[in-house]
Amino acid sequence: MNGSEIFGAWIAVFLTLGIFSYLYKDNPFYKIAEHVFVGVSAGYWMAMAFWTQVQPNLFGRLWPKPEGEISGFLMKAWYGIYNFFGIILPSVFPDGGIDKGHGHDPHFLYLLPFALGIMMLLSVSAKLSWLARLGIAYTVGMAAGLRAYAFLNSNVLGQIKGSAVSFVDMPFFSLTGVSVFNNLIILVGTITGLLYFYFSKEHTGNFGKVTRVGIYFLMISFGASFGFAVMGRISLLIGRFTDLITYGTPTYNYASIWVLVLMIVLLTVWTIKGDKKATG
Amino acid sequence: MEKFLDFIVKAGSLDRRVIFVVIALAVMLPLFFPLGLPIRPTNSSQQVYDVVEELEAGDKALLSFEYGPSTKPEIHPMAVALLRHLMSKDVKVYITCLWPDGQFMAMEALDQVAVNQYGKVYGEDYVLLGYRPGAEAIIKGLVSNIRKVYTVDSRGDFLDDIPMMVGVNQVADFDFLFSASAGYPGTVEWVQYAADPVGITMSTGTTSIQVNEVMPYVQSGQIKGILGGMPGAAEYESLIGQAGIGTSGMDAQSVAHVIIVVFIIFGNISFFVERRRSKKY
Amino acid sequence: MFMKRQLPIAIAATIGFLTLFGWFVEEPSIKSFVDDDATQWFDILASFAMFLGALNLLKMQAMKVIRQSRGWQYAALAIAGFSFSFIAGFVMLGAYNVEVTEFGGSTGVATVLANEINQDLQSTRNILSAVPAGDAYIIDSPYFTEGGAESVVEQIVAAGGTAEIHPAEWGAHIATRGSLFNWMFRFIFTPLSATMFALLAFFVASASYRAFKIRNFEATLLLISGIIIMLGRVPIGGHISAWFIMYIVVLSLVAGVNTWLKNRTYTLVALVVGLLGVTIAGFITGWPVDQPSIFFLPVLQDWIYNNPNVAGARAIMIGIGLGIFASSIRYILGIEKSYIGE
Repeated sequence: MNGSEIFGAWIAVFLTLGIFSYLYKDNPFYKIAEHVFVGVSAGYWMAMAFWTQVQPNLFGRLWPKPEGEISGFLMKAWYGIYNFFGIILPSVFPDGGIDKGHGHDPHFLYLLPFALGIMMLLSVSAKLSWLARLGIAYTVGMAAGLRAYAFLNSNVLGQIKGSAVSFVDMPFFSLTGVSVFNNLIILVGTITGLLYFYFSKEHTGNFGKVTRVGIYFLMISFGASFGFAVMGRISLLIGRFTDLITYGTPTYNYASIWVLVLMIVLLTVWTIKGDKKATG
Repeated sequence: MEKFLDFIVKAGSLDRRVIFVVIALAVMLPLFFPLGLPIRPTNSSQQVYDVVEELEAGDKALLSFEYGPSTKPEIHPMAVALLRHLMSKDVKVYITCLWPDGQFMAMEALDQVAVNQYGKVYGEDYVLLGYRPGAEAIIKGLVSNIRKVYTVDSRGDFLDDIPMMVGVNQVADFDFLFSASAGYPGTVEWVQYAADPVGITMSTGTTSIQVNEVMPYVQSGQIKGILGGMPGAAEYESLIGQAGIGTSGMDAQSVAHVIIVVFIIFGNISFFVERRRSKKY
Repeated sequence: MFMKRQLPIAIAATIGFLTLFGWFVEEPSIKSFVDDDATQWFDILASFAMFLGALNLLKMQAMKVIRQSRGWQYAALAIAGFSFSFIAGFVMLGAYNVEVTEFGGSTGVATVLANEINQDLQSTRNILSAVPAGDAYIIDSPYFTEGGAESVVEQIVAAGGTAEIHPAEWGAHIATRGSLFNWMFRFIFTPLSATMFALLAFFVASASYRAFKIRNFEATLLLISGIIIMLGRVPIGGHISAWFIMYIVVLSLVAGVNTWLKNRTYTLVALVVGLLGVTIAGFITGWPVDQPSIFFLPVLQDWIYNNPNVAGARAIMIGIGLGIFASSIRYILGIEKSYIGE
C-alpha cells in the first residue's frame, strides 16, 4: 500500500466520521466536512463538465485538428485565434487543434452555444443577467421538445398498453403468477389511482368512493416506496461501514480507530466547554 | 401495569441519539459476526436470470454502467454477478457508460471478473467502449449508429480494429441490453429511447429507491425483470451460485430492517397508550 | 424589450417545435440537427450552468470571508476545497506514467520497481519476466508530480534499465486511475457524497420511530405495506413463519371487532375462536414455515410488489407523464414564461 493511499484513507475516515458526527449534534467536525464537500464538489463538477463536454465537444468542434496545411485567410485567422488561446492555456488548446473524432472542418454553428454559454455566465453581473435568459430559453425549449415525446410514448402510452390486461386463459387467483384477480387489481388500482388526481370534480358521492379506493392503492405504493427507501439507505450505510472497517485494519495503520477516538475526545471537550459557557 | 404503561409512553419520546446508536450497532455487528441467513430469490430477480440463461455463446450483450461510488454498495455487486453469468456462458459483452464514474466502476468489475476470474480476451470477448457525455443523445446515437458516438473505445483503439465490433452498428444488433442505473441518465432513458423504439430485450438493476419508479415498466413488459438494490444483487448471486459483496451485506440489512420495524411498532404502541390516556383524562 | 422578453420565448418555442417534430420528420438535415447537434448544445449549456453555479458559490463564500461574518473560517475552507479540486482538474496534471522499456537483465531494476509497486523482489521479477518480449512495463499507479516520476526514472536508469515518462493527456487525466484528480475523487469526494446519503439511514429510522403513527386507515395501509416489503425482501423474512403472521392477523381482526362492536363478550369469543382455529390448523399441518403461502412474507411481499404497488406506481407515472407533456407544450407554445422570471 503506497503512502498516498494510506494518507488518502486517513482523510477519507476523517471526513466520513466528521459527517457522521452530526448524529451527535451540529459540531465543528461536521461543519468542516460539509464545507469541504461544498467546495470540492463544485470544483469536481466544474472540471468534469469542462473536460467531458466543453473542451471535446465545443472547442473540439470549433477547432478540430485540420487534415493538412491550413489554407484561406478565414481559416488562418480562425486558427490564429486558436494559437493565441493555446499560448495562454496550452492544456486546453494543444498544438495544431483538438482531435476528438469530430472530423477536420470547424463546425461554425457551434459558435451559437458558445455565445449562449458565455451569456449564461454573465448572470453573475446584475446589469447583464438578462442575457442568461437566452441560454436558459434554449435549454427549456430543447428539454420540452425531447421530454414531451418520450414521456408521452413510454410513460403514458406504454403504461396504458400495460394496463390493458387479459382475463382469459388464466386461473382466477394466483399468488405468484398472472391471474384474473391480479389483473383486476392492477386495472382497478390504476384507474382509481388516476381518478384521484382528477381535481376538476369534487370527490364526493360515488366519485368520492371511487377515489377513496384510489388513495388506498396509492398508500400501498407509498408504503412500498418507503420500504425501498429504507432498504436503499441501509445498503449505503453498510457500504460506508464496510469501508470504515477496511480502513481500520493494520494495512491503513488503524485509521478508523485512531480518528474515532480522537474525535470522541475532542467532541467531549468541546461539549463540556460549551456547557460551561452556557452555565457560566 | 401503570408503571409499565408509563415506561412505554416515556420510551415513545426517546432521545433520537439512542436510536442512532442502536441502528449503528444493528448494521455493524452482523458485519463482524455474520448470521449466514439463506437468500431466497424473488420473481423479478429470477426473471433477469432466466433472460440471461436463454442467451447462447456468441450472443451480444450491451451493458450500461450508470452509477458511481456513492451507490456502489447497491449496484456494483449486481454488475459483477451479471458479468460472471454472461462470461460463464461465453456471451460477448459490450460496455458503455452514461456516467463518468461508471467507467471506473466498469474497469473495476472487468478486472475482477473478465481478467482475474475468467481470463477473457479484450476485443474478442469483451470491450469497454467507455464514457460519453450526452445522456439521451448518446442513447439515440447508439440506436442509429454506434460509430457516430464512438470512434474509439476507452483504450483509444479504433472500433473498426476491434474484432468483436465487426457487424455491430446499432442497438438493434445486440441480443440483450442491461442498464445498471442509479438515477439520471439511466434505466428510464434506456427504455424511452432504446428498448421501446427498437424492441430489444432489456433488463435492469437499480438502487432500491428507484425500484418503484421503474416497476411499471417491468410489469408492462417493457423491461424484463429488475434487480432491486443490494437484496436484488444478493438474490442474483445466489441464483448464479457465486456469493459476493451483496450476500455479505444481507445479514446486516436483515437485522437493521427488523430493528426499524420493531421501532415502528413500539412507537405506535406508545402512541396508542398515550392517546388512550388523553381520552381518559 | 424584445431581446429581454420576446426573443427568449421565440427561442424556446422554435427549438421546442423543432425537437418535438424531429421525432416525426425524416428530412436528413433536421433529423441530424435534432438527434446530434441539438442535444450536444443542451449538454454544453448545462456545463456552462455548472460553471455559473461554481462561480456563484465562490462569490457567496468569498463575501462571507471578506465581511468576516459568522462562520467565515468555514467559508474559507470551502474556498480551499474548491481551489484544491480546481488545481487537480486544471492546473496540476497529477498523472505521470512511468514506462520501463528495458529491464537491464539485473535485479537492480526489479529492486527499484519492487519498492514502487509494493511487492517483494521475487514477485516483481515474476511480473517483469511475464512481460512479452519487446513490450514495455508500465507502473500501475501514475505519479502525482513530474518530479516524482523523474526520480523513479533516474533510479531505473542508474540500475541499468531504461524508462520514459508518459504524462496522461489533459482531459484523460480526470479518468486516469491513480491521478491526483482520481485520488481526490476516491478519498475526498466519494466518502463525503456516500456518507451524506448514508446519514439518511439514521434519520429514516428515527423518523419512523417518532413520526410514523397510525392515525387513520390510509396510514395503516402505508405502514403495513412498508413493513411487509421491508421484512419480505430480506433473507430474515423467509425465517418468519406464516403462522406467526396468522396470529398477528387474528389479533388485528380481534382489535377491529372490539373497536367496531365495542362488546367484551364478542371480542373474547373472536379471540378464542381465532387463536384456537390457527393453533389447531397449525397442529394438523405440522407448522410448515412457508404455508399458507398467503401469509408467508416473501410471497406476500412479491404479490404486493407486483400488483397493488404497480397499480399505484403506474397511476402516478401516467399522471406525471401527462403533466410533463402538458407543461412541455405550455413551454413550447410560450404560455409558460417562468424561466424568464415572469
